[in-house]
Amino acid sequence: MTILIILLWLANLCCDTIGQIAFKYAAISSHNRIDFDYWRILLFNRWLWLGITSYAIGFLLWIAFLSYIPLSQAILLGSANIITIMIFGHILFKEKLTFFRVLGVGLITAGVIIVGIG
Amino acid sequence: MKKYYPIGFLFLLFFDTLGQTGFKFSANYAEPVNYSFAWVMRILTNKWIYMTCISYLGAFLTWMILLKKVPVGPAFAASRLQIITVMFVSHYIFNEPPKLNHILGAIVILCGVFFLALAEKKLAKNKEQID
Repeated sequence: MTILIILLWLANLCCDTIGQIAFKYAAISSHNRIDFDYWRILLFNRWLWLGITSYAIGFLLWIAFLSYIPLSQAILLGSANIITIMIFGHILFKEKLTFFRVLGVGLITAGVIIVGIG
Repeated sequence: MKKYYPIGFLFLLFFDTLGQTGFKFSANYAEPVNYSFAWVMRILTNKWIYMTCISYLGAFLTWMILLKKVPVGPAFAASRLQIITVMFVSHYIFNEPPKLNHILGAIVILCGVFFLALAEKKLAKNKEQID
């Protein structure tokens, strides 16, 4: 049972991270100004659909995850996506991890966990 | 930091919050929860669920515009501000007063967003000096 919960959590974390990374790739795939054509091209972008698929699977995994553990604990584990998205943003898009950025992201994660308790 | 980032985030927060509010209204409207066909139909036939759909579409488009420029890591973290706005809606519309830990968590999140904004300011300043 515990292994199943951990696997569900990790799979959900992967889906959230892949989803956001894919959305970022989709958003920067064209340098066009934002007009009707931009959205039309974006609609057929494979990154966009990877992101949407990823989120859809993540949603189902989250529901499954919630059926095993209480919401407060789920939020505590679920907020790890804030950290993983920052790390992959750094690796893939060369987003600088300055001291203040890491501090800010850390505080937000802590805040989400505090709200989630009880 | 570009001037329009905060405006984009405000739009994102607005849509996210409106979406969640719509979910709650729909859930209340569709009660009792019995996972029956009738329950699903009650969800699909009330106006609130469509407000949610439109809000989430708006949030998605706003997010895609923001992501063209902003770094996804800090921006995703900053978008957790919706927890605070939803807290306000819960309190004033649904009469769910926040508990002590909710208020405490909200303050910590706000501090985090403050430092993210500070980080952007510093990065912009460094870039200016290089240019």
